[in-house]
Amino acid sequence: MSSLRTGVRCLRDIRQTATTATSNASLAYRPKQAFRATRSIATTAPRSAGETTTTQIIPSDVEPVGQDSSATVQIPYVRAVPISPSYFSRKPVFNDAFVVVQDLARKYARLPIIPKDKVTPTAWRTKEQYRLAIGEHAKGRDYATCMKLAKRLNQIHPDLMPEEVKAGLLPFKREVNYYLNRPKIQPIDQYGRSHGVGKRKSSTARAWVVEGAGEVLVNGKPLSEAFGRVHDRESAVWGMKLTERLDKYNVWAMVEGGGTTGQAEALALAIAKALCVHEPALRNPLRRAGCITRDPRKVERKKHGHVKARKMPTWVKR
Amino acid sequence: MAAANCWRCLGRPSTQRLLAPSSIPSFKNPTSVAAFTTSATFLAKDDNQERPIEAPGPGERKAFRKRIQLSNDNALKVSGLSELEAQQLVDPTAVGQMASLPTGLVDQLRTIEAFKPTQNWGLFRSPHMLVRKDTVDFLGDMTKRIANKETVRTVIEGERGVGKSMLGLQTMAAGFMNKMVVINIPEAQDLVEARTDYSYIPRTTPEQFSHPSYILKLLQALRSANEEVLSKEIIKLEHIHLPGNLSRNASLATLANVTKEPEFAWPVFNALWQELLQPGRPPIMFTLDGLSHIMRISDYRSPSFNLIHAHDFALTRLFVEALGGKTHFPNGAAIVGVMTKGNWLKDKSVEKALEQARAAQAELPIPERDAYYSKYDERVFEALKGVEVFDVKSISKLEARSLMEYWAASGVLRMRVDEKTVSERWTLAGNGVLGELERVSLYVSRL
Repeated sequence: MSSLRTGVRCLRDIRQTATTATSNASLAYRPKQAFRATRSIATTAPRSAGETTTTQIIPSDVEPVGQDSSATVQIPYVRAVPISPSYFSRKPVFNDAFVVVQDLARKYARLPIIPKDKVTPTAWRTKEQYRLAIGEHAKGRDYATCMKLAKRLNQIHPDLMPEEVKAGLLPFKREVNYYLNRPKIQPIDQYGRSHGVGKRKSSTARAWVVEGAGEVLVNGKPLSEAFGRVHDRESAVWGMKLTERLDKYNVWAMVEGGGTTGQAEALALAIAKALCVHEPALRNPLRRAGCITRDPRKVERKKHGHVKARKMPTWVKR
Repeated sequence: MAAANCWRCLGRPSTQRLLAPSSIPSFKNPTSVAAFTTSATFLAKDDNQERPIEAPGPGERKAFRKRIQLSNDNALKVSGLSELEAQQLVDPTAVGQMASLPTGLVDQLRTIEAFKPTQNWGLFRSPHMLVRKDTVDFLGDMTKRIANKETVRTVIEGERGVGKSMLGLQTMAAGFMNKMVVINIPEAQDLVEARTDYSYIPRTTPEQFSHPSYILKLLQALRSANEEVLSKEIIKLEHIHLPGNLSRNASLATLANVTKEPEFAWPVFNALWQELLQPGRPPIMFTLDGLSHIMRISDYRSPSFNLIHAHDFALTRLFVEALGGKTHFPNGAAIVGVMTKGNWLKDKSVEKALEQARAAQAELPIPERDAYYSKYDERVFEALKGVEVFDVKSISKLEARSLMEYWAASGVLRMRVDEKTVSERWTLAGNGVLGELERVSLYVSRL
């Protein structure tokens, strides 16, 4: 029961208490062979006077739980104690993980930590993602408290990071740490060409950029034939224009799908990406020019009961 | 941010612009002082009392659309540019120079309708032109060969807006400056689209037709533009079938002026043509814009209600025979057909004939006709037999820069002209297509 009590209190208060110090019950609720043997006993009924009974029963010098191998003999309780401290209170998964984190935080509070900006970036699960992953409604406030502790634990110096901390933090991390993703470095080929792909609406553009004098061919045609509208021509070479590279590179591009506007703007993305291969320093100016980020907008699908995506049929009296 | 509605009258901004200014109270009408008013209709009544707008008369709209304005007093005068000389058009070192057209030459070119309404002459103080590399290449070769009394038969080809008609104009300018007799058909479309009157030429087999009014107009333009050359030449042949009395030593200018009647236009034109073909005459330059239009069956009907082929018209036949090499020119001649891409009827015969001509010019194997296409027009192949094809290409950045500097000096291009801007416009104009360069640079101000 002490473990249950400790666990429940931990949710609210992490002050050091006499009980936890003596019982050393940090991981007592972990599945253990000793308790598992007695699990067949029904523990469904709430015990109103349980606390007083147990306090009398438990001797002050209870052995540390980790050491017992013949636990069946040493059971200090009259009835079986549930494995999870959350047994009588709420859904267990988050609470158990939270208790682990709290105990770890307490246990390793004195390990040296490194500054936040030196820590390897970690993709934490957001509250919603965590709820989705475990399938229960973890409370927002509790999750925030838990994350604060988890992040503090994550700051422990990597050379001294205990394995159990790593294991304890695992449920709160995303499966893929996208911060560690590195873009593939596109090479400049033997002819000095770089390749970039861009998309917009339903159009896809591929552009090959090579050092030159500003000639642009789109689908084998000059820019004026490919795009009748001057506006479209400008948006196609917008990145090069803003970075003043229009007279320094030649572009050979293929565009397909969609309409003229989409094609022109897909081309802007493709050219900008290919340009970045030649001059990576242009990435930020190009991003500010809006030539790096893909515009995710697409045609909204039609819904049933609607005439179009949003339009409703005209109201008719009868 | 401006409100979408006017706060005073609840009118949309565009409608409000049409109304009388509400800030000035009208004392005739004390009610109009009210701050809140729905008086748009009220004010409209006042406007109705003014005289109604007259509709333009017949032909006025077209005349306005087709007018050619060669000067603009609002444009700035560009100083420091030389007048065009004949030598400049064939001098490779003059490539990229702008030159003004001499007044006399402008009059001559205007008379034969070398300027087109689609060209933006009206934006500038006086007509200037760019000497391009294509100009020098084409005219240099042509001038040399005409000096040797050869006949140059060329079709000017190129993308849309690349400057084909402009090269035609430069060719005519060179013709005038080299004292050639320049005949120009400004729009071949006019000859085939059943817009002008036509008549059967008697005693012709197979039957031929003429455009009496059109030819009369052409004859008069031809005479007044080439007066200086024609008045020096004395007639050599007998012209007893022509109206009026031509004296023995009448000049060709007199011959061209002998009739004012459309019905005698073709005989007089033909007589003049025969005179020009005599040895010792000045070389002839015959140009036609919109060549592909006369390479088809026209919209005219014969008396038996059959459609007439364009080559059955006397004037087009004259041109087509000259272009196809059937006419012998003892004094040298330049027969130039300018293709058009703006209003172009795609025709497989013309395409194939030009493809073959190109191959022959480059001494490559001649491409065969498509064996599965039965509608090839044999007369088109006859007409384009052995012609040279001159492809007008896009301009270089150097030429673009000199042109843009001229625009900037004229005040129509309000931007700094440096390497960066020239290069940018050059790219936007499809790697230097001249018409597109004009579009991306000037059309902002043309609004």
